Amino acid sequence: MESIVVLKNVTKVIKGRTIIDNINFQVNKGEVFGFLGPNGAGKTTTIRMIVGLMGITSGDITIGGSSIKTDFEAAVSHIGAIVENPEMYKFLTGYQNLVHYARMSKGITKEKIAETVELVGLKDRINDKVKTYSLGMRQRLGLAQCLLHDPDVLILDEPTNGLDPAGIREIRDYVRLLAREKNMAVIVSSHLLSEMEMMCDRIGIIQNGQLIDVQQVKEFVSSTDTLFELEVTPGETAIKLMQSSYPDVRTSLSKNGITVQVPKGEIPKLVKMLAAEDLQIYGIKETAKTLEDRFLEVTGKKEEASRD
Amino acid sequence: MINLIKNEWMKIFKRPGTYVMIAILIIATSIVGAFFKYQEKGPEVADQHWTQTLNQENDALKRQLQQSTSKMEQQFFKKEIAINDYRIKHNFPPQEKYNVWTFVKDASELIVLAGLFTIIIAAGIVASEFNWGTIKLLLIRPINRSKILVSKYITVILFALFLLAVLFVFSSVLGAILFGMPDKAVPYLNYYNGRVTEQNMVIHLLIYYGLSSIDMIMLATMAYMISSVFRNSSLAIGLSIFLLFTGAQFTALISLKYSWAKYILFANTDLMQYFEGTPIVEGMTLPFSILMLLIYFVIFQVLAFVIFKKRDVAA
Repeated sequence: MESIVVLKNVTKVIKGRTIIDNINFQVNKGEVFGFLGPNGAGKTTTIRMIVGLMGITSGDITIGGSSIKTDFEAAVSHIGAIVENPEMYKFLTGYQNLVHYARMSKGITKEKIAETVELVGLKDRINDKVKTYSLGMRQRLGLAQCLLHDPDVLILDEPTNGLDPAGIREIRDYVRLLAREKNMAVIVSSHLLSEMEMMCDRIGIIQNGQLIDVQQVKEFVSSTDTLFELEVTPGETAIKLMQSSYPDVRTSLSKNGITVQVPKGEIPKLVKMLAAEDLQIYGIKETAKTLEDRFLEVTGKKEEASRD
Repeated sequence: MINLIKNEWMKIFKRPGTYVMIAILIIATSIVGAFFKYQEKGPEVADQHWTQTLNQENDALKRQLQQSTSKMEQQFFKKEIAINDYRIKHNFPPQEKYNVWTFVKDASELIVLAGLFTIIIAAGIVASEFNWGTIKLLLIRPINRSKILVSKYITVILFALFLLAVLFVFSSVLGAILFGMPDKAVPYLNYYNGRVTEQNMVIHLLIYYGLSSIDMIMLATMAYMISSVFRNSSLAIGLSIFLLFTGAQFTALISLKYSWAKYILFANTDLMQYFEGTPIVEGMTLPFSILMLLIYFVIFQVLAFVIFKKRDVAA
């Protein structure tokens, strides 16, 4: 796989405070890379550095082989981006906004603008003033704006912020489509973990300006044992039973019964044992760990480590 | 670059405020026109003995010249005498009938209004992008920041020229309708360095316009600098307009006591003082003022560019 965005030892210091501390990662063509972290961790700062809105204190970022520091125009011509909210000129129509940005890149024809408008589904309203648009329509116009020049890298900072479920789904499908069909590299940042899980191939977790971890989403989620929730009454008896028969297994009381962390093969044996003791079993459910659990686990661990 | 200027022009002319400005300028000119028309008396009887009158006037002026002690006054008397002499010699009766050109010159007082509007545009052209949040999308185009800033400055200058053109054309048309064209083309008599020269009236007015707009161009440049350095259009508008209206007076006050007043921007913005009067501080010359203007201009531009280029866009 070919990397298109490369961050090398990127550090940002503002007024003596290190905001971003020596970050390294690459994003490949055709990949959706998620950038995950709590508020204030440095997601937006990193994105601003990638698109050249902020200077880099040390280290370098290259896009398609050109450095954003020394060869800004070449580097940034590969990028289409929405940084935070897609702010448009409200007193212009959607179309005028697009013409405005089209004039700033080379070789964007009227046909290309029309095609992009159609693509994001704004054809009916494109000649209305942006101040009459809903948030979802502004988001779509923002997307049109960054797709005009067929970029190799698409950067979306919190793309689903403030959208309704249908809008979120639309953006998600669209992002996946662009990565797959046009071989675009997409970088999305978010603190909505469930979103990231569905949208991204790989995610990088950032906390306190440091990149803690970069992993494939699937590996990331499944890197711990699965949990089973047993709906069983009375729970207290079940726990006692578990503790005597399986002293090594982590067991806890949950809302409807107990939660145990055992290999799948152990389940029939476990059920038999519980049934033999006259406990009422209503159901057994496998609960995969979500990105959220993992996220809290990873960031929590890091915090504990730094506290020690 | 042309595309960038087109963009800026579009952003100015798609806002209703711009049309309000143009309307105010046109209405103000109309009011001035109506006022002069109302004041105008019936057709004046040309003074048959104007040569005699001018001779008498000159005698009086000469007497005053001998009594006068201030250099400024002496200069003024010398100029009046020279022009009167020239009139007598070349048979140019002093202009008495109010005509289109006199009106255009009177209406040129409204250049200060055009200056005001240009300052408002200049103050907003960078700061508004920050306020609107659009700066983020503007600066991630494959165009470096200096080009964007240059295009914005050129747009400010073009807008200033546009307003001046509106004022000039409209006051000419209105003047021609209300007061009529002069009977014969009378040249303007120019006095410079002790010599009187003739100048075509329209050319004279254009030069007059050009010299009168230096003030506004310099202040617009300052407003644009403040706008780009502080990202704050209110500060830029407030400070620049305050200086536009009071700068000259303050400078005049300071110049009464201190000769360093000649280094103040406003002592140098009025280049007319070298053609039609005496400099505000003794010893100032035209090249000196032009040099000072250039220095101020370069300082404003360097500040605007250096800070804009280095700025981290975090808004």
